[in-house]
Amino acid sequence: MARMKFLCDADRCIECNACVTACKNEHDVPWGINRRRVVTINDGKPGERSVSMACMHCTDAPCAAVCPVDCFYTTTDAVVLHSKDLCIGCGYCFYACPFGAPQYPRTGNFGSRGKMDKCTFCAGGPEADSTEVEYAKYGANRLAEGKLPLCAEMCSTKSLLAGDGEIIAAIYKERVTQRGYGSGAWGWQTAYQEPITV
Amino acid sequence: MQVLKRFGPIGPAFAAIVLAFGLLVAPAAAQEGPSGSNPTAQSVNEQQLLQELNKIQGRVTIPDAKAGTLEQPQGRGFREYHEGALPWIGGIAVLGMLLLLTLFYFVRGRIRLRSPEAGVKILRFNAMERLTHWITATAFIILAITGLNFVFGKRLLMPLIGPNAFSAWSQWSKYAHDFFSWAFMLGIVVMAILWIWDNLPDRYDAHWLKVGGGMFDKTNRTHPPATRFNAGQKLIFWSVIIGGIALSVSGIFMLFPFSYADVNGMQLAQTIHATVGVLMVAVIIAHIYIGTLGMEGAYEAMGSGTVDLNWAKEHHSVWVEKQEARTEPSQPSAPPTPAE
Amino acid sequence: MLTKRKNGQAGQTKLQSLLGAGGAAPIDRRTFLRRSGLTVGGLAAIGSFQLGSVRKAEAISPPQPGVPIELKKSICTHCAVGCTVTAEVQNGVWTGQEPSWDSPINRGSHCAKGAAVRELVHSDRKLKYPLKLIDGQWTRVSWNEAIGEIGDKMMELREASGPDSVYWMGSAKFSNEGTYLFRKLAALWGTNNQDHQARICHSTTVSGVANTWGYGAMTNSFNDIRNSKTLIIMGGNPAEAHPISLQHLLEGKELNHANFIVIDPRFTRTAAHATEYVRLRSGTDIAVLWGMLWHIFENGWEDKEFIAQRVYGMDEIRKEVAKYPPDEVERISGVPGEQLKRVAELFATQKPATMIWCMGQTQHTVGTANVRASCILCLATGNVGKPGAGANIFRGHDNVQGATDIGLDVVTLPFYYGLTEGAWNHWSRVWEIDYEDLLSRFASKEVMETPGIPLTRWFDATLLPKDEIQQSDNLRAMFVQGHASNSITRIPESVKGLAKLDLLVVADPHPTTWASLAVQAGRTENTYLLPVCTQFETSGSRVASNRSIQWGEQIVAPSFEQKDDYQVIYRLAQKLGLAEPMFKNIAVEGDRPVPEDVLREMNRGSWSTGYCGQSPERLKAHMRNQHKFDLVTLRAPKDDPEVGGDYYGLPWPCWGKPELRHPGTPNLYNPDLHVMDGGSPFRARFGVERDGETLLAEGSYTRGSELTDGYPEFTMAVLKKLGWDADLTPEELSVIETIGSDIDAVSWSTDLSGGIQRVVLSHGCHPYGNGKARALAWNLPDPVPVHREPIYTPRVDLVEKYPTLPDAMQFRVPNIGHAVQQAAIEKGIARDFPLILTSGRLVEYEGGGEETRSNRWLAELQQEMFLEINPADASERGISDGTWVWVTGAENNSRARVKALVTERVGQGVAFMPFHFGGWLEGKELRANYPDGTDPYVLGESANTITTYGYDPVTNMQEPKVTLCQVQAA
Repeated sequence: MARMKFLCDADRCIECNACVTACKNEHDVPWGINRRRVVTINDGKPGERSVSMACMHCTDAPCAAVCPVDCFYTTTDAVVLHSKDLCIGCGYCFYACPFGAPQYPRTGNFGSRGKMDKCTFCAGGPEADSTEVEYAKYGANRLAEGKLPLCAEMCSTKSLLAGDGEIIAAIYKERVTQRGYGSGAWGWQTAYQEPITV
Repeated sequence: MQVLKRFGPIGPAFAAIVLAFGLLVAPAAAQEGPSGSNPTAQSVNEQQLLQELNKIQGRVTIPDAKAGTLEQPQGRGFREYHEGALPWIGGIAVLGMLLLLTLFYFVRGRIRLRSPEAGVKILRFNAMERLTHWITATAFIILAITGLNFVFGKRLLMPLIGPNAFSAWSQWSKYAHDFFSWAFMLGIVVMAILWIWDNLPDRYDAHWLKVGGGMFDKTNRTHPPATRFNAGQKLIFWSVIIGGIALSVSGIFMLFPFSYADVNGMQLAQTIHATVGVLMVAVIIAHIYIGTLGMEGAYEAMGSGTVDLNWAKEHHSVWVEKQEARTEPSQPSAPPTPAE
Repeated sequence: MLTKRKNGQAGQTKLQSLLGAGGAAPIDRRTFLRRSGLTVGGLAAIGSFQLGSVRKAEAISPPQPGVPIELKKSICTHCAVGCTVTAEVQNGVWTGQEPSWDSPINRGSHCAKGAAVRELVHSDRKLKYPLKLIDGQWTRVSWNEAIGEIGDKMMELREASGPDSVYWMGSAKFSNEGTYLFRKLAALWGTNNQDHQARICHSTTVSGVANTWGYGAMTNSFNDIRNSKTLIIMGGNPAEAHPISLQHLLEGKELNHANFIVIDPRFTRTAAHATEYVRLRSGTDIAVLWGMLWHIFENGWEDKEFIAQRVYGMDEIRKEVAKYPPDEVERISGVPGEQLKRVAELFATQKPATMIWCMGQTQHTVGTANVRASCILCLATGNVGKPGAGANIFRGHDNVQGATDIGLDVVTLPFYYGLTEGAWNHWSRVWEIDYEDLLSRFASKEVMETPGIPLTRWFDATLLPKDEIQQSDNLRAMFVQGHASNSITRIPESVKGLAKLDLLVVADPHPTTWASLAVQAGRTENTYLLPVCTQFETSGSRVASNRSIQWGEQIVAPSFEQKDDYQVIYRLAQKLGLAEPMFKNIAVEGDRPVPEDVLREMNRGSWSTGYCGQSPERLKAHMRNQHKFDLVTLRAPKDDPEVGGDYYGLPWPCWGKPELRHPGTPNLYNPDLHVMDGGSPFRARFGVERDGETLLAEGSYTRGSELTDGYPEFTMAVLKKLGWDADLTPEELSVIETIGSDIDAVSWSTDLSGGIQRVVLSHGCHPYGNGKARALAWNLPDPVPVHREPIYTPRVDLVEKYPTLPDAMQFRVPNIGHAVQQAAIEKGIARDFPLILTSGRLVEYEGGGEETRSNRWLAELQQEMFLEINPADASERGISDGTWVWVTGAENNSRARVKALVTERVGQGVAFMPFHFGGWLEGKELRANYPDGTDPYVLGESANTITTYGYDPVTNMQEPKVTLCQVQAA
């Protein structure tokens, strides 16, 4: 089985935010919830780079480990998903997540964060594939339709890659070799405990 | 294969190129302004940033400050403590305390009154004090159970009742934990006001501690003098006050997530809260033991508020003297003035 | 227990069994409309929880499992890259968007706007019904009532003040067909006062580039930039304005190890990917370009053969350039000589090299001259007319190129025929309307042949005393269809203009800032809002920046009472009694003219620009066969039955009739290809000789040409001389004989039979001739570009040497830039307003921004209007990041309240504001001025509240890129 990963090639990312709105569009993510975001480092200075970030679907995911109700699970494609039926909105996964992926709707005053929401790698949730109830809770299930996450598919400069880790790593390595530079596969060391060495 | 198909158009384009260039671009020297520089060659590097700053922070357009943190590998540390050390600390503290108390019980047995009851009651805690104590105690027990659930629930309870029931229970636990916390915090504040004066260290404490309060004297002859609260009780008091404040402050951080702290602050708050929490549970277990099973006559103090005069003389001799001196010595049965 | 298998979770929730498997009824169109209606109520409630200028929104159109999906293709309605949008439609509802893998332009990609276009159609912030102001209240009226009243008022004004008192402001958001109808409507109404967004984005490009080598358009394509070895992006930020272009630019940069040079006052997101960044002072482009040419001439890096064969007047340029040695250039622009030398050498020697620009060059009082200087740099280095080279001008709106070509412009009839009697004659033949009939509709023949008032000056034409305007009366009515008001400079004055108008009609999907500012100006009546649907809800063709024409199909029908542009124009034409002549040869279904028919009529008249070969059938075939076109050359394999040999979108010029199957022209002026493979020389547009020097190419000709030297444009006379007239068919000849009194004068551009073009092409020649490009454009105010200081410059010391041009009457109104510049110096404006203010785009928004700020997915990403300010300037003023500041401008005591964004993107002494915001005026939020439920989620101050006077003499382009301002903490 494939081991799904994201890779943002920061030398291509132009902070166009297509990944962000593609995600909103595909899953009808409400205002205030940002499953994906683009962060610009060194803004306005030479060396500035932007990186698109969402759940990296970590190997040995910290969110899953700290969850007090064990609502996370990993699919056979190595996509880290969770059950909103089980989630209690405690917020631990956000503290543990190195990438700031978990999001919470604000449902009340103190403490009452709603069910956590995060990038599903366009793979839905525990419900039956591509059903209305799955869409309502987790958004579309593109993986079930044989498609990849829309954010990467629509990336303006093909900076954001999604798919089997080995294949996207190969694409990235090829790019770095070709152009002679690369600012790193952002988040890979932290998420998958493996660097991409070229 | 899916991926290859999707990104196919890129592959051949690259394949067509002779890999003629090695490390083409050497980093340019740092310049004053951006003009004249080669922004490509100067690009920031992830590994370097992580090494230098241990955290990657940037700018985002959405008005969510925490979204500006791109990477915080500290999450790994949080997870390691939370799932590694914390359950051990909690387990050892709670189970260890229970074990110690059991041992103590079997070795020392219940600490009984040495002299027979005097039949005369003396008021030890007034209604206000008892109300405060019990509100705080009730809240704490609920917080302790629901709090321990966060650490141990999935390990102990979920296998028994299944994920759905456990999730429902945990959801209510969380609400309970959030709401009862206010009662606990109020209790801590009032207790501090009520009892702080009597819990300041005094000259009897050193001796009391030296003889272990007489608790380890199986003959039950040792009864070191003490004021209203002996050194042991003072230790409990200060543990509760300091621990309670730590729990309250860190708890408030978590009740209003990210209002006062960034993600690392939140991690710290959670770590402090959980650690102090489990230790407090251990301390309070000891407190409950000595206040109920462990010592004859102790429960009455918080139960009815009055204690037998002889019990008071054995355990709080100095306090009793003071009380008697203040009231009329000829009428020991008269209600003593409340302590304070 | 949760397991690693996803399906292990099935059956976990009770809800699922209740809702799953066809439990809920699929949403049909009716339900969808009802739901969106309900959502309006919901939003009204949410509106009370507004945070600042932001309101929140909710979902309405989820996908419907099990319902068949219909895929429809249209083109993104934002910038001019021309990305294909693939829509999933279920039961008539647009429920999803898929990547358009087949499009050679975007290859599945989108930017933030393109990936969010579905919401444009669903947005509940759109106008739903026609509205008018009654006693200052927006009131729903019927279409008939609205059109009836508008028409009556127009006729009344026409009676009182003549046809020129009504202004027709059209849009780059029209399809070609909509543009054409709007242009035709203005002609039949009898005025040249009709214009669109090109005026404020690339009018100077069009005039500058066309005056250099024939056509005012991007010479190559986005895809072709993959071939470039050196790219200079000067005055453009495509990473934000044209994000998909960066896919081609960055891949090209990586594959070729190309030099990627960004010259800009601002360190933009594009600059972040450059291999060299050059910071110049805003408004000093010519000095920098001449500074580069100085090094090129000094070192002999110019392409001497190219210049000798294909360029006229380069010696005059040498003389001027000699005045710009490195120290002088540095004094003017701040760019060090060494750096410019490096950049110049790369551009001249690492070829092919391309020059890319946007509004950083065009939006200036010297816009035309800037653009000319850029073209001249390309000419001097031989970087035009080959793959990987050229002047690649990225246009801003999805059909701004088309709308420009179709002459929605004060200076010309469709397809650059101009306004001469000959031009009117040509179109009267195409339209089959008597010339005399057309003439009778105008105030006079003179007015008929005089350019109208540019839209940048509409309020001047409204407010100035009648005798200062060269037409019978002031402007008294504005009919605005698809144009923002906040993208025009000098807002405080346009507000006064709004108050004075007798009639204001805004036909648009959104109320736009016209509505909110009109109410603010005190209008209480004679103000109408007509709901128009988006291009996704109608069909038609649009032209991308690379001149490719793409046909968009209707994705869904408009909801509520919105009508498409064709219907609005038809209804109005009908009311004004113009429908009969206007739609003589165009079928109308109900109230909707058939766009295919409109395109066919355009094909029949557009010989000058080569829009004649792109029949609706061919364009639709291209959309069907997108996957067959090559990524780099954009060409389909020759053996393909439907699109064989064609270039994608038949980039104009596509000569002859559709049956000729000309493939289109991917790169302009490339002589290395046969004319039937898209090759072309420079256009012989400016005559054959001047002062004894030839204007025709020398020794350069397209591959396979039977004429192996320069030649003039083809007329019947030339054809006869060559004996090629014998090749004309009798049918062609009979058509030619009907054109004009002198058959010899019938040319490639007026021959309605297409015969001349066919014959010329069959001889491997080019209909428009084989001329030289003009480095010296003798008809322009500055035949050779010279540096001129902006009207409001911080460098008053340079004004004496480099003053702006003298005051003059232009386009019926006075241009008093010189007087304003002098007054600014006398008043010491530069002392009181020390910061240069420039403006630009954000990736999330477009144009005036009302549409994109009404898109909740985009609006969430930019919730507040801001001003970028350098940390040094900020700390000097006690301003910290994210705090409120007041920006004050040099005219009208203008001021704007915005958030500070403290960043090194801008240099010291420079401030930047994005121009997409509106709905605030000088610190006051105007949300209440919008009709209920149509206010965009995000409102903010308009940058153009602060911008000032300044107009390019050639086009009256405005000057939003350099003015002065002061900033203080609020």
